[in-house]
Amino acid sequence: MLAFYADSGKMEVNPGGDQTDTAAAVRSAKAEAVLRVDHVTKSFGPLEAVRDLSFEARPGEIIGLLGPNGAGKTTAIRVLSTILSPTRGRFTLGGIPHTKPGAIRQQIGVLPESAGYPLHQTGAEFLRYHARLFGHPARSAREIAASLLVEVGLAERGSSSIATYSRGMRQRLGVARALVNTPSVIFLDEPTLGLDPAGQRQMLALIRDVAGQRGATVILSTHFLDEVEEVCSRVIILNRGEAIAEGSVADIKRRAAPRTVRVHVPPEMHDEALSALTQAQGVARVDSIDKERGWLTATFDSAWLDEHGGVPINSAIRALIDVDVLILSFELEGGRLSDAFLSLTEEGRR
Amino acid sequence: MTSLARSDYRLRSAAKAPAYGWLVVAVQELRDIWLSWRGPIIVFAFSLLLSLLTYLAATNKELNIIDQRDTVNMVVQITLGIGVAVSLLFGADTVSGERERETLESLLLTPVPRRQIGLGKLLAAVSVWPVLMLVAVPYVWTLKAGPGLFANAVVAGFVVGSLLTAAFASLGVIVSILSNSNRLSLAASFFVFVVLLAPTRIPLTGWFGDHIARINPVTAGSRFVDRVIVTNHSLGQEWTLLIAPVVAAVIALAVAFVVADRLRLQGGIDR
Repeated sequence: MLAFYADSGKMEVNPGGDQTDTAAAVRSAKAEAVLRVDHVTKSFGPLEAVRDLSFEARPGEIIGLLGPNGAGKTTAIRVLSTILSPTRGRFTLGGIPHTKPGAIRQQIGVLPESAGYPLHQTGAEFLRYHARLFGHPARSAREIAASLLVEVGLAERGSSSIATYSRGMRQRLGVARALVNTPSVIFLDEPTLGLDPAGQRQMLALIRDVAGQRGATVILSTHFLDEVEEVCSRVIILNRGEAIAEGSVADIKRRAAPRTVRVHVPPEMHDEALSALTQAQGVARVDSIDKERGWLTATFDSAWLDEHGGVPINSAIRALIDVDVLILSFELEGGRLSDAFLSLTEEGRR
Repeated sequence: MTSLARSDYRLRSAAKAPAYGWLVVAVQELRDIWLSWRGPIIVFAFSLLLSLLTYLAATNKELNIIDQRDTVNMVVQITLGIGVAVSLLFGADTVSGERERETLESLLLTPVPRRQIGLGKLLAAVSVWPVLMLVAVPYVWTLKAGPGLFANAVVAGFVVGSLLTAAFASLGVIVSILSNSNRLSLAASFFVFVVLLAPTRIPLTGWFGDHIARINPVTAGSRFVDRVIVTNHSLGQEWTLLIAPVVAAVIALAVAFVVADRLRLQGGIDR
């Protein structure tokens, strides 16, 4: 399935997407930014937990906030959700400046990383209470609670005490709580942490629905890169409080793009492939893998990659096709988001 | 999982800061106290204690060696002590308890102003006092020695208790806002209470002792009740003894009002 990435202007393969996502992405690209973050820094004494963070988010976008432990993801979310005030910089949400936290809170929904729940309350009571805190009268709060319980798949457990809920059910209840005020921006801090695969799938579907059907912007902090690839339209990678990369998933992959391709050809075509790759544009070196015939790696020149957009795939494939070498497999080494993430953050160097 | 319905969108888009956020918080906190075991079990234990005391005072001639006025005074003083202590502990649990249970962040993410959150929690914390006083009224009626004593005892107890409860529940809320640990909050608040309560058990005589008793809101309040019930003074005669409880209540409420505005996810004033 194809999706249009507004920031790159290119159509990219989006395996988790569908036509609705594409339409939403186009709508999103045309819309005004709902969240504008401008050089926000948050310090705790001498420690800068978030440093000079700037980005914009549009309606319907799902932005993945990635980073290793201690990168500043939770602090960034707490600043943007007005729990902490920025030390420097500013941000606006729906045009409301960060100096009006009460007004911003009316526009956002948050699932905190360590969300606790009053275990003696029922799910319905919990949602009713929060709907009341957002200014809804009692009757409306009841209707909202009932409707949200249906939406997050907890309708049958709404009258059970939260103490009896599983981790996944509590997380879904937390998402429901974040939706009681119909927020324009939703911050989800590690929403799938501790969930089993089925729970993770349910949560991701819910997140996609929130962005797709409500047109809400979702800022998703997570450790799980697969999730980001699946649901996020854009990614911001934080490391030691600093945004070290921002762009679409495809952009990020390209930015840490591999300099090496791994090619599998029939053993009898090994020499032809070796020769073709050696002469291919931008290739600095070609090696046989473990002297095994049919397996080759081609390493590209960095300067050439920078000049040509960092995509070596076309040049290498073209060289092989030109000499009629059958390509059994062709793989970019390090072409996954996890590779990009590791190479961009310090974890990759440990 | 069902998909999100658009039909309810308009219904929910009315989100705004509630005009009476403090009331919403207070009602929920009251439910938590009175519909759970905490409030009812305290009232039950308290009424059990008063029943025992009243029974002994009313029926056991050998044990009933103290004057009836003293017995009424004892009932009112016990009600005061327990009411103030429980309100203090409820106040001390309000914020730091939510921090420990990790439910505070969700509350802070609502548009309800911090002061209203603090006010709602404070009101719930003091709710135990009028209930305990109400429970004590029939016991005071049973033990009363004369027609004037009942009214004076109830009014004196209610006035002093209300002032001290407001002061100490506010103190609990203040400590709770500033403390990251619930245990620390409860211990610090209770320590202050015990320090102020201790002089009521010590005979404070002479100029210095009298001034200490008048400055300390607990001893001053206790003396006021004692003189109204035991010495049979009128309420107006001993009004100067109410100065310390009034000042304590006003200062504690004012400080709580200021500190509540700086309620944060972590303890301390501002970060």
